[in-house]
Amino acid sequence: MLLEAKNVAKHFGEFRAVAAANLTVAEGDVIGLIGPNGAGKSTFFNCLAGDTEPTAGTILFDGQDVTTASTEAHARLGIGRTFQVPATFEDMSILENVMVGAFMRHPKRADAQAHAEKIIEMTGLKDQAHLRARSLGTPGRKRLEIARVLATGPRLMLLDEALAGLTPGELQQAIALVRRIHESGVTLVIVEHIMEVIMTLTARVLVFNQGRVIASGKPQDVVKDPVVIEAYLGHGHGKRARKRGPAA
Amino acid sequence: MKEATAPKIAWGWVALAAIFLAYPLVFQSAFFRDIGVLLLLAAISASAWNIVGGYAGQVSVGHGMFFGVGAYVPLMAFTHLGWPPLLGVPIAIVVVLILSVIVGMPTFRLQGHYFSMATLAVAELIRLLVGTWDFAGAAIGLSGPAIPRGWWDLTFTSELPYYYIFLGVLATLLLVTWQVQRSRFGYYMRAVKAGERAARSLGVPVRRTKLYALMLSAAFTSVAGSLYSIKTGFVDPESGFGILVSVQMLIIAALGGAGTLIGPLIGAIILIPLQTATNTWFGGGGSGLTYILYGGIIVLLARFEPGGLVELWNTYAPRRWRSGSHAP
Repeated sequence: MLLEAKNVAKHFGEFRAVAAANLTVAEGDVIGLIGPNGAGKSTFFNCLAGDTEPTAGTILFDGQDVTTASTEAHARLGIGRTFQVPATFEDMSILENVMVGAFMRHPKRADAQAHAEKIIEMTGLKDQAHLRARSLGTPGRKRLEIARVLATGPRLMLLDEALAGLTPGELQQAIALVRRIHESGVTLVIVEHIMEVIMTLTARVLVFNQGRVIASGKPQDVVKDPVVIEAYLGHGHGKRARKRGPAA
Repeated sequence: MKEATAPKIAWGWVALAAIFLAYPLVFQSAFFRDIGVLLLLAAISASAWNIVGGYAGQVSVGHGMFFGVGAYVPLMAFTHLGWPPLLGVPIAIVVVLILSVIVGMPTFRLQGHYFSMATLAVAELIRLLVGTWDFAGAAIGLSGPAIPRGWWDLTFTSELPYYYIFLGVLATLLLVTWQVQRSRFGYYMRAVKAGERAARSLGVPVRRTKLYALMLSAAFTSVAGSLYSIKTGFVDPESGFGILVSVQMLIIAALGGAGTLIGPLIGAIILIPLQTATNTWFGGGGSGLTYILYGGIIVLLARFEPGGLVELWNTYAPRRWRSGSHAP
């Protein structure tokens, strides 16, 4: 297994944001994490990325215990992440933003720049490479975040709503980009609210609600699961789904 | 940086270097040469501060502690050991490197205003301690050699040698900064300034980057302090460790453009003659005007252009004259 999260829990005082969540990710997987707002997806995601230290549980990456490892150590091991609200370096150019990521595996400036330029071309940002990040709109920033993480040479990419806020046209381009990244050999874990992304890209989905994983399986099955419907739409809707019978 | 703008910027630097080299030969009066020396000293201090405050975004309000150590150690070496003050310069650098690690390790756990307040508190503490420390001359301070024993005492009657020594140090500092800003470390500093969380996620060792930036900045600030005390032949707690010393570095860098190579130099070119003019016009009664001037600049920068004059230039100058994404 590339990533194994066993009984991961995170408490903030009395509040239990994540309770005993499990996740296994094999090399080459594309896994989706979905759930209503406040379900604990992002906290769990932050635990996987090393941004938040779990209160309990273990996280193994390629067999190595990374539960308490720093965010920098996660990045060096090959775990890259994007942020829900793009955290681009606003006063740096797009090329410079990507070079920050590239420097991790290419300490020399010329090598880092060459690598960054390759990534920029792959992510479709070549024409804007010398513009400041602040001049980009939402789709550009999301793309830049992905490019920056790609430049670190990740084995596993954690995409936190990286495709949210895009127009239908932009969304299709972004989906195509994520596909290309996966085809290049990067394993993906995607937190997303847009079901089109989940249905199109992922092979397996975990559904979070109130800090717990309430369902997992193929996306087509999961979206018809009464427990999942109840979690999204409220009490009563799940019962009606059960009466209608199992998914066709 | 856009490739097309690079030659323009290089020629700009060549022109600036020519102006600085020619200045004391054109303006030969002691008054104008003294302004030139003060300007260069201010530019060195502000450029040194700029490494940690401008590039890495860690706004130190206590850099006077490094300047003060740099100013005191050479005169201590002279007073207590009879050494040429120049020999105290490398010792001062070693002391400030140790001091910067002691200060940086705990304070870099803090962010934003808390870091600034911590540096201010440490600098004030050191100023008070030095003011009561007999070995350092207590409140009276220390003096350098009144009569030069040789060239190595660097005690000159003319301002000219000081001018060119200071210019050489400034050129070295700018060259080092230019190299640093193009290196991985330089990119990491700017990433830390832009967003620590995002920088960490890209493998940037945030605390180490901040600490190295502080050490480099402190070392050059110490050199500025040494140049000051060797040139004036005197230092006391206020002129070495005073709050105004720290604030002046910050204001000059911020006025020109913190986080840019040329910003501190522009800030010094504007502020030092202005400061000298107010002192000259109003005599001793105008010394308080310096504080008013600094306060006014802080208000104007905070309100209208936190990026300083370089940013203002990049916003309003004709497009072909602007620098690339990253100001020079």
